[in-house]
Amino acid sequence: MDLLQPGVLFQLAVGGLLAGALYALLACGLNLVFGVMRVINLAHAELMMIGAFIAWLAWRYAGLHPLLALPLAMLLLYGLGLVLQRLLIERIVEREELTSLLVTYGLSIILVNLGLLVFSADFRAVPTLQGAFYLEGLDLVISKPRAVAGAVSVVLTLAVYAFLRYSRTGKAIRGVSEHPEVAMICGIDVARIRGITFGLAAAMAGAAGVMLSTIYSFSPDTGADFILKCFAVMIIGGMGNFLGALLGGLLLGLAEALVGGVLSTQWAEAVAYLLLVLIVRPTGLLGQADAL
Amino acid sequence: MNRIFLRILLAGLIAAGALLAATTAAAADIQVGASVALSGKYSRTGQEQLNGYALWVDEVNARHGLLGRPVRLVHYDDESKPDTGAKLYEKLITNDQVDLLLGPYSSGVALAASTTAERHSFPMVAPGAASSDIWERGYKNVFGLYTPAEVYMDPILELAKAKGLSRVALIYADTAFPRSVAKGVKDKVAALGMSLVFEEDYGKASTDFAAMIVKLKARAPQVLIGGSYLPDSTAFVRQAKEYRLNPEIMAFAVGPGLPDFGTNLGADAEGVMGNTQWEPTLKLPGAREFATRYAQRFGHAPGYHAAGGYGAGQVLEAAVIKAGSLDKDALRQALAGLDITTIFGRYRVDATGLQVGKPGYAIQWIGGERHIVLPEENASHALVYPFRPWQDR
Repeated sequence: MDLLQPGVLFQLAVGGLLAGALYALLACGLNLVFGVMRVINLAHAELMMIGAFIAWLAWRYAGLHPLLALPLAMLLLYGLGLVLQRLLIERIVEREELTSLLVTYGLSIILVNLGLLVFSADFRAVPTLQGAFYLEGLDLVISKPRAVAGAVSVVLTLAVYAFLRYSRTGKAIRGVSEHPEVAMICGIDVARIRGITFGLAAAMAGAAGVMLSTIYSFSPDTGADFILKCFAVMIIGGMGNFLGALLGGLLLGLAEALVGGVLSTQWAEAVAYLLLVLIVRPTGLLGQADAL
Repeated sequence: MNRIFLRILLAGLIAAGALLAATTAAAADIQVGASVALSGKYSRTGQEQLNGYALWVDEVNARHGLLGRPVRLVHYDDESKPDTGAKLYEKLITNDQVDLLLGPYSSGVALAASTTAERHSFPMVAPGAASSDIWERGYKNVFGLYTPAEVYMDPILELAKAKGLSRVALIYADTAFPRSVAKGVKDKVAALGMSLVFEEDYGKASTDFAAMIVKLKARAPQVLIGGSYLPDSTAFVRQAKEYRLNPEIMAFAVGPGLPDFGTNLGADAEGVMGNTQWEPTLKLPGAREFATRYAQRFGHAPGYHAAGGYGAGQVLEAAVIKAGSLDKDALRQALAGLDITTIFGRYRVDATGLQVGKPGYAIQWIGGERHIVLPEENASHALVYPFRPWQDR
């Protein structure tokens, strides 16, 4: 089999891990919101698309490189996240999970259609980081936009992780996640913490969108492909577990690439899903059987 | 006395009215019926096709109409829905009693609407449909205009054969139209005695080709054919560049035919080939003039949907003149035997009404622009061959 040479598999693995880092960045935000508020945000991928369109607008009308647009998009989405939290999400936090599905699904429909109205269904791209790095000795090709997106994703995800672990606000977020009532009794402004959490998640989605704009052609509809991957990552990594989502994202990317390379791209997602979730760890990698 | 006078006056008026009605009926308009999507997912392309119809109607009337009678377009909006389309054609035939029929937009709607036309034995000229299953049902009243999907890639594969290439790789999206393109490619590759070294389909949403390209490279294809739309073909080309996949010919069914392909890929579009049903630059009688008149009237350049609409009108016009009447049987015979070249290209159908006269036009991105390169007699630019390897760009 010409396809099972170590060189080919190594190439597939590297490409898969880089794609997986982007899934991880997106899914970590989703998982963070779920962990803190028990809200499943179906509009998460639409927040990502807003990030992608900010990158496109910045590049198209101001000639701004996506890496410079990155902090701008994150800031804008943090603000949008705060507003959304205040207007919508805060009202449904204590409700049953179906309510959050309905509200965020509605939000997703509104955002997609606003996007279609403003930007039309045409596909856009931000062709800035072009080409690839060629490591001749290893016979390895690493796509430039994917390498940059992968690196940015890993750095951002770990930075957010460190923030959650070591900063005072991060500790408060974890406190609210573990036990909102106790956190409130301890003097934590729970509503404010939820706002920060949602803003942070939106900013991470926005960053993923900016990086996505350098890799793929996208339209306002593109989010739909990614929200499904996000759920796969969440389930693989364990619902509500931040590091689990990071690992899950990397693994999903890796499995997709290897299955796509050895079998067929049509099978990639299905096999990755079956193999990782149902057979290896039905409860998720870092999840517990009784967590939900 | 006075009352009698009034009665006579009234009777006279009624008689005059009846006479007037009779004369209007004698010189009545020829009604051309069509239902085209003006809302829903095909609204943009449907509107262009309708514009093509409307422009043809205006110009026919400026030329004193058909058979000396003025032509009027009766049209409805099928909302891009096949079942609505079928109902509206029923209405056009039985309720409005139109004299002639033009087709709806999209293969799906045409598939449904053509059944209605067939049931009433009403000949219909159908642009806006390229899927050949419309003509595989033994119908006698549906006459196509578009190059069928199966022969899209024929000129490009013939070119490859002439250049001595044999290793063909085929990738395609897992939906109806790309599947038809792929079927045609497989048949043509076998007919030309070339070898298919790689074949794989992918889900429509899939835009990550890295794994596929790594596999493809191992098979070293000389010709890469994609049954692809815009987002997947642009994603593929970008990743082919990254992985330095260097076939001698790289061609995709839909993507490269659209301006956004060049906008999104920039210089990387150079040399990529594709298909088009029609371009204003095609060397066809009247094509350029049509494009100018269309742009003046509607304020934007015509796409191939508009040209197809206008061309369908021309075909109908030629058939009516040939038949010399609006009789359905005479019209059907005329349409079946007609061989003309409209602004949209040659029209000649086989016994099932499938378009066989119009070739697939191949385009290539050269110097940041789309040019027709095949067949040579319609070319607007010489072909650039072979595909320049990525590392030399």
